[in-house]
Amino acid sequence: MALDTFICMFQRPFAWREYLLQTWFVARVSLVPTLMLSIPFTVLTVFTFNVLLVEFGAADFSGTGASLGTVNQTGPIVTVLVVAGAGATAMCADLGARTIREELDALRVMGINPIQTLVVPRVLAATTVALLLSSLVILVGLFGGFFFSVYFQHVTPGAFVAGMTLITGVGDVVIALIKATLFGLTAGLIACYMGTSVGGGPAGVGNAVNETVVFSFIALFVINVIITAVGFQVTL
Amino acid sequence: MAQRLPRLSRHARGVVDSVERVGGQAEFYATTVTSIWFAINRYKSETIRLIAAMSLGTGALIMVGGTTAIVGFLTLSTGALVAVQGYNQFSDVGVEALIGFASAFFNVRLIAPLTAGIAMAATIGAGATAQIGAMRINEEIDALEVMGIRSVAYLASTRVAAGVVVVVPVYCVAVMASFFAARFGTTFFYGQSTGVYDHYFYTFLSTTDLLSSFVLALVMAVVIMLVHTFYGYNASGGPAGVGEAVGRAVRTSMISASVVVLFVSLAIYGQTGHFNLAG
Repeated sequence: MALDTFICMFQRPFAWREYLLQTWFVARVSLVPTLMLSIPFTVLTVFTFNVLLVEFGAADFSGTGASLGTVNQTGPIVTVLVVAGAGATAMCADLGARTIREELDALRVMGINPIQTLVVPRVLAATTVALLLSSLVILVGLFGGFFFSVYFQHVTPGAFVAGMTLITGVGDVVIALIKATLFGLTAGLIACYMGTSVGGGPAGVGNAVNETVVFSFIALFVINVIITAVGFQVTL
Repeated sequence: MAQRLPRLSRHARGVVDSVERVGGQAEFYATTVTSIWFAINRYKSETIRLIAAMSLGTGALIMVGGTTAIVGFLTLSTGALVAVQGYNQFSDVGVEALIGFASAFFNVRLIAPLTAGIAMAATIGAGATAQIGAMRINEEIDALEVMGIRSVAYLASTRVAAGVVVVVPVYCVAVMASFFAARFGTTFFYGQSTGVYDHYFYTFLSTTDLLSSFVLALVMAVVIMLVHTFYGYNASGGPAGVGEAVGRAVRTSMISASVVVLFVSLAIYGQTGHFNLAG
């Protein structure tokens, strides 16, 4: 199935319309959860980090901690959660409902390859949105961390901003973006596979969505560990 | 009125509707929470069955070892992340000996509760939404009402109670897995001596931190189960509706769980953080 998708990805005609519609759909579904999730996550990270730094007497470096945590970990992980939890579930529910209503079989009868018309645009849409979302997450996260540190824990704003680029560089940002792209791809593939292989009525669709969330979380967390390790070998 | 000012009245109706939705949700949560005791007393066998089903998983999830295994696996990978990220960052400044401290501090306070909460929302919570939603679509809930069974108590309250019971062992597994993965990653892959790691780990591992992170996990379990049962109970629109309800429930519960974690941990640890590096 994944192989089929990759082969069809480079075949004409490409379903542009469906791609744009899906991109818009996934973006719309996951925009609000992204903002709502990234703020508490970063604030929590910054809070824990600052407690530690204040104890060291190095509260001026909280910007370093915030940018490090956000770019390297919080950013990708929040993207994972949103892409898997919001985007993939919506896609799986949509495809699953179509499978239950036997629309996919109807497409096959009409001589249209459902993988090319439905799956490929969805997988690519998830990839695109994940890439765009991760930059948003990082940005929002840094803002959240800044406000929390400056207004609640009384860190000097200048020191916060100056510390941000101390450890985190372009390499880390690039790795974060690569991570997000891979996450989107994997989550899209899992969602589409689960969605197209639904069976057993309403309970089946619900279970398929449930399995999508679980499997994509597992896959994405594993990918995150591996890429983090590889990324450190590359950048250092 | 409605004819004279169409746009204004539509707008007003939208506002009224959204207020009503919030009220309905609050009412559902209140009913669920207040009838937990009733549910445990009356529907004992159902509660016990749910506890078993939740801890070991249902359907295809049994094949991968159920909720406990999934939560353990996710925290294993985040624990490994602590090892990878922490070791590299700490060795930049030459204090890689302190990685044991990072495991004891970040795992307990931040990573294990969040990961466990997310994993629970994805497995137990989404499963509950799917089950209850399918029941609603098949009009089984209406049948329950006709038979004189309190459907909210029977379906939602039992699940909330079961979730609270299940979260205790699941969270234990989560914490152990994250500790193990961090230790294994640091000592095995990066070759730090186990003695150094254990020394800093046990020095900075505090019982109060562990207990308060348990409180966090319990609060999260209640919130997650409430949100998920609500969305399942109010599913509508055929098979697609169930899927949509699951998706919406996962989104909402992840957001509310992380906001709850934020506020509860701010309340527990306070502004100063109750933390002494000097011991």
